Amino acid sequence: MQMNHMGATLSLSDVVKTYQMGSQEVHALRGVSLEIGDNEYVAIMGPSGSGKSTLMNMIGCLDIPTSGSYHLAGEAVSDKSEDELADIRNRKIGFVFQTFNLVPRSNIFHNVELPLIYGGVGRAERKRLTEQAIEQVGLTDRMHHKPNELSGGQRQRVAIARALVFNPSIILADEPTGNLDSKTGKEIMAMLDELHASGHTIILVTHEDEISQHAERVIFLRDGMVESDVRNSAGAERGDSHLSVVRD
Amino acid sequence: MKFGLELSESFNIARSAIMANKGRGMLTALGIIIGIVAVITTMTAANGLKNTFMQSFSSIGSDVLYVSRTPWVNMGDFMQFRNRRNISLDDTEKLAEALSGRGIVNPGINRSLNIKYGSETLENVNVLGTTDKQIIVSSITPEFGRFLMPFDVEYKKNVAVLGSAVAEALFGALSPLDKKIKVGRYTYRVIGVMEEQGGSSFGGPNFDRRVYVPITTFIKTFGDRGGRENYDVAIKAPSQEELADFEYEVIGEMRKVRNLTPTEEDDFAINKLDTLMGAYNNVMGVVLLIGLLVTSISLFVGGVGVMNIMFVSVTERTKEIGIRKAIGARRRSILLQFLFESSVICLIGGVIGIVLAALVTFIINAVLMPASLSWGILLIAVIVSISVGVLSGIVPAWRGARLDPIEALRYE
Repeated sequence: MQMNHMGATLSLSDVVKTYQMGSQEVHALRGVSLEIGDNEYVAIMGPSGSGKSTLMNMIGCLDIPTSGSYHLAGEAVSDKSEDELADIRNRKIGFVFQTFNLVPRSNIFHNVELPLIYGGVGRAERKRLTEQAIEQVGLTDRMHHKPNELSGGQRQRVAIARALVFNPSIILADEPTGNLDSKTGKEIMAMLDELHASGHTIILVTHEDEISQHAERVIFLRDGMVESDVRNSAGAERGDSHLSVVRD
Repeated sequence: MKFGLELSESFNIARSAIMANKGRGMLTALGIIIGIVAVITTMTAANGLKNTFMQSFSSIGSDVLYVSRTPWVNMGDFMQFRNRRNISLDDTEKLAEALSGRGIVNPGINRSLNIKYGSETLENVNVLGTTDKQIIVSSITPEFGRFLMPFDVEYKKNVAVLGSAVAEALFGALSPLDKKIKVGRYTYRVIGVMEEQGGSSFGGPNFDRRVYVPITTFIKTFGDRGGRENYDVAIKAPSQEELADFEYEVIGEMRKVRNLTPTEEDDFAINKLDTLMGAYNNVMGVVLLIGLLVTSISLFVGGVGVMNIMFVSVTERTKEIGIRKAIGARRRSILLQFLFESSVICLIGGVIGIVLAALVTFIINAVLMPASLSWGILLIAVIVSISVGVLSGIVPAWRGARLDPIEALRYE
């Protein structure tokens, strides 16, 4: 690694994930090693079936490796119980999904508040943090609306507010613009860029070059392995790409 | 702190889930409503029967011993009593003498006879030859007129006191006092009517369908085969506390009266309210148990309905479970969420059931027998409905809690 980390936020070493699909074994990841540092802006790319979703789930602590190890903020994740993983997700990871994944019956405030509830934060503090996060995505006036009363872009902003409300070290965005028109998509990406600028580690999964160019680093997966791990020298928010190969 | 939050969040989710599916929730609760109504009604009916029973036997008196040839409640072989000697008039007099100063002794003899007034005939009425002491041992009072007096007994007067049902049947709205009636073939003058004792509608003895006459007049008019007819003796103990000791005393004196040698068994029986109550409680216990078993089946079916809907609910919200897990919900949180939902549905059903059961109880009380809801029954109903909720929710909730977050998120 030639990258300058302020310290590795997460590191995977030789991570293998094998699924049993009926009688067939599916090798989703065949030995992935990588480190992502504090405040990095990383895009994970790859064709479908390349294992990027599995890697995403792994990084998001939704899944544990079949073999190999995964450390998040110095802690080994591989041997955690399901509830311990839930706590890690709660504290350290903010998810932004392609399909927004808001709880339909709850209003915006409650949706954003949820991680704090599961994290056991007191009422007054919860209210403060929730309102702050909602303000950050500019939806204060929609706080008491239900998700279905909002546009797609607004919903994704709610999801972002929910992702950052607990101030996690990592924000994981899985095709965050996949269900949005390009104008709204740009707004959402601008928001992620802003979060990165304010110190968050952002990990994007995308298949769109245009989106990946927001990132500082692009990891390309193929057949369950890292094909390339390149630094986007242009940096974030540049329209044109000047990729320099960091590692093959 | 954390657990408290999980609890309140689970409750809120459950509430909004039920509110979002009110119709389905109500239909599901219907099974519980029916079950709870059935269970409560069974219990109040049993209570009502017991009240009725207590009322109908209140005149027996809890501090009174009845010496009879055979026991009232016979769980064993009836044949063993068949050859017992009757308790004769002489026996009762000797016993009264032996116990004088200790208990109030009242002999009695009874027979089924037809009672006539004018053209009205009442068949097979219990005619009891007794003394003025009857109202002391039975703690009953006349409603009109008076009860038998010592001189009625001493002078073998042809006077009769009617039970309320007899007076009602023969005289209706007329006053029976001083009217001449036929008891069997003999003419008696009515001197009083007893208060209604009630409570005979469910198999208890009907003390209202009875005629009281002086024991001496009874013997004079109907005969007692020279004193060898079978008598009963009611003895009021000096006090409730001394009843047990007094019973031994009575047994001892009665054995002397009957000339029993120490090796011979008692050839008489001591009856009391306790024995009756014990027997009644045994029988009612079994009846109540069977009733509860049968009604529990409806509750069980209701519970299965709730379980079914909870499975649907878990499946419908698979995606939501995935979302919640992704952002940090533990298995416990998801489990609680669904347990709350099923419990709240059942509790709502339970509360509605209680209200309906109160209505049914009110109707039973108005038309059938004294029945009332007790706090104990209400508490049981609430506990039972919550338990049904938890029990029928546990499997679906556990299934939801164990969902793999990735699979759940992918669910559409």
